[in-house]
Amino acid sequence: MARGTRIKRNQFLSENECRLIHRGSCRLLSELGVKVESDEAIRILKDGGADVKDGRVTIPQNMVEQAVQQTAKKIELGARNPGNTITIDVDSPAVHFGTGGQALYVLHQTSDGSFTRKPAVTQDLIDIIRLCEQLDNVDFITRPVEPDVSEDEMDMEKTRIFLENTTKHMNLANLVKIEKLPEILTAVKDPSRISFIASLTVSPMNLVSPTIEKFMKMVEHGLPVAISSCPQGGATAPLSEVGELIQVNAEVLSAVVLANLIKSGAKVFCRGIPITSDLFADGSPRWCQPESIRRVAMATDLSYFYGIPCCGTAAVSDEKEPNPQTVAEKTLSWVFEAASGAQYINSALGMLEQVLTVCPEQYIIDDKIINHVRELLTESPDYNIENVAQTAVTDALDMFHVPVTDELQDDLSNRIQFILNGQEEYSAEAVDAQVDLISKAVTSGRSSTKFMKAARSGLRKGWLYQGQRAQGSLDLKEVNDIRNQLLGS
Amino acid sequence: MSDTLEKIRKNVIEGRIDSEDEGFEGDMEGEPGVVELVQQALDEGISPSDILNKAVSPGMEEVGQRYENGEYLIPDMLAAAECVSEATEILEPMLLEGDVKTRGKFIIATVEDDLHDIGKNIVSTLLRGSGFEVEDLGVGVKADKIVQAVEEKKASHLGLSALLTTTMGHMEDIINLLKEKGLRDQVKVCVGGAPVSEDFAKKIGADVYGEDAFDAIHKLEKMS
Repeated sequence: MARGTRIKRNQFLSENECRLIHRGSCRLLSELGVKVESDEAIRILKDGGADVKDGRVTIPQNMVEQAVQQTAKKIELGARNPGNTITIDVDSPAVHFGTGGQALYVLHQTSDGSFTRKPAVTQDLIDIIRLCEQLDNVDFITRPVEPDVSEDEMDMEKTRIFLENTTKHMNLANLVKIEKLPEILTAVKDPSRISFIASLTVSPMNLVSPTIEKFMKMVEHGLPVAISSCPQGGATAPLSEVGELIQVNAEVLSAVVLANLIKSGAKVFCRGIPITSDLFADGSPRWCQPESIRRVAMATDLSYFYGIPCCGTAAVSDEKEPNPQTVAEKTLSWVFEAASGAQYINSALGMLEQVLTVCPEQYIIDDKIINHVRELLTESPDYNIENVAQTAVTDALDMFHVPVTDELQDDLSNRIQFILNGQEEYSAEAVDAQVDLISKAVTSGRSSTKFMKAARSGLRKGWLYQGQRAQGSLDLKEVNDIRNQLLGS
Repeated sequence: MSDTLEKIRKNVIEGRIDSEDEGFEGDMEGEPGVVELVQQALDEGISPSDILNKAVSPGMEEVGQRYENGEYLIPDMLAAAECVSEATEILEPMLLEGDVKTRGKFIIATVEDDLHDIGKNIVSTLLRGSGFEVEDLGVGVKADKIVQAVEEKKASHLGLSALLTTTMGHMEDIINLLKEKGLRDQVKVCVGGAPVSEDFAKKIGADVYGEDAFDAIHKLEKMS
């Protein structure tokens, strides 16, 4: 049976709202432009009809729309076991979940049940791939951690470990040295078995070296690449949902244009990850809070608007360890990201502490809950998203014997309502105001201060969710039994 | 207090740097901000030290109190700190020696191979607001360039930021280079960033570890 789950889409953005965001992104690209740290990329963009103004490449709307038309609508992601092949088809979409990284640490459970964090090493990469090979709800494996070998050896070592330990599709994510690509392709034999993620955007509105050069080579070779942009609303993008969507969309589209100029019909995924910045504390990213869950699902709506494959992001918990709050955050994220119809959901298992840490037990916990989320979203073609979210999160906590008190139930309901109900107006005026803010922030040279200052009134209006954390601990007996069975004790 | 001084104080609290600034509620564009009001006060013959001591500093103190009691958040602190920094820039050349005490010269940078700058930018803005003379070298800065800046500017403090375990090791290289050049004793080295810890700071011989921007400022204030 082919991998993937067909799910009726829950859309946050209407066609008209997508059109408004598109108009704003095109204004940004054609008037402000994007700073490109590669002479070769600038040359390609200029030859394709772009201009250079004040050191920034301005891209006219017709170039954007042409590139959108050209982008591949169907991508086959091969695997050693043909049963693990994934077909991404925007005309016949199915949802797939996979792992993510690059985490710097691995959380290990000690004999007394507590967790200890250690820097990731090669054996962790082997163990996690072996574990994920055996977990049914891992449809593909994205490199969770890098091997701890020299930079020169890293790419080939990672490829070798993948080839020896999985029959699923391999997303190698990044290459330290792009010169290693031919060697990797020889080792892999079938190039459809690997894909990549290019985090070539540094927000606001920069395509940076050396990732841009690596991206260009991957596209030249016809390899599938997710164009990743992860602004933080309130710090590297507007806190406003409208503003952040305009910006992340423009950033991703600029690379879509470049990719199609290099190779028309480029196999690229849109991977906009519009999360927020913790302006209550230290400005750190809020990956799994309600406003971020909502915005990331909206980025999928934009991918569908363009008919470009979507590489989603889900369940990167802000918590440091497996606990009831981790379960609650992740479950809501899976529900809304799966319901958005994102076809290739990365980072969906194992991730904690934003993107810093992964944990073997967490993969098993996540696999179990994702299975239930898939069931709930496919039980009835007319599911009610609010009910599914409520049921999923309550059931998930129950799986690990966490009592759902009235207080916790209230907070979970509040989180769901926050995700479902937008607070901003989508209008031409609102779009223009946000385009102006982004342009001012970028040209001021002190963009984060500008965005933070502009965030003040939105903060007072409650645009960042403030709630309770679920307390207590998880009963991990069953998880530990599974871990021992799959990995040895 | 003169009307102008009171307006400066209020605009510092409001975090409005100049007349283009929309202000807290986004409806104040066109009204004079701190920059214009400082100039107006000077035109009215008010002394630079009075502007600083009777308007700018009390404004920032009020902001600090509002932050302490939870009424203000990071962006409010940043906005006010920016105003203080701008006002100081205008007034400093006119101040007599002894009129104002700076806390020291602070060089700050994100280390080589690391492009993360949110935390660093917050720290540098807050440092400016709390009286340090800050030079921000940017992101991905090589060790020799950082050490050269410390030497040339005779910096009293050096702030190093890293967000990756693969780059935090450069902090130790920089401290070693400072020792090699005989500069280690003249400069307090402060380190921060997600993978950095108190233990790591001790291990590499840094003087201050800031868990976040406010922790760093707090510890530096205690030291001065």
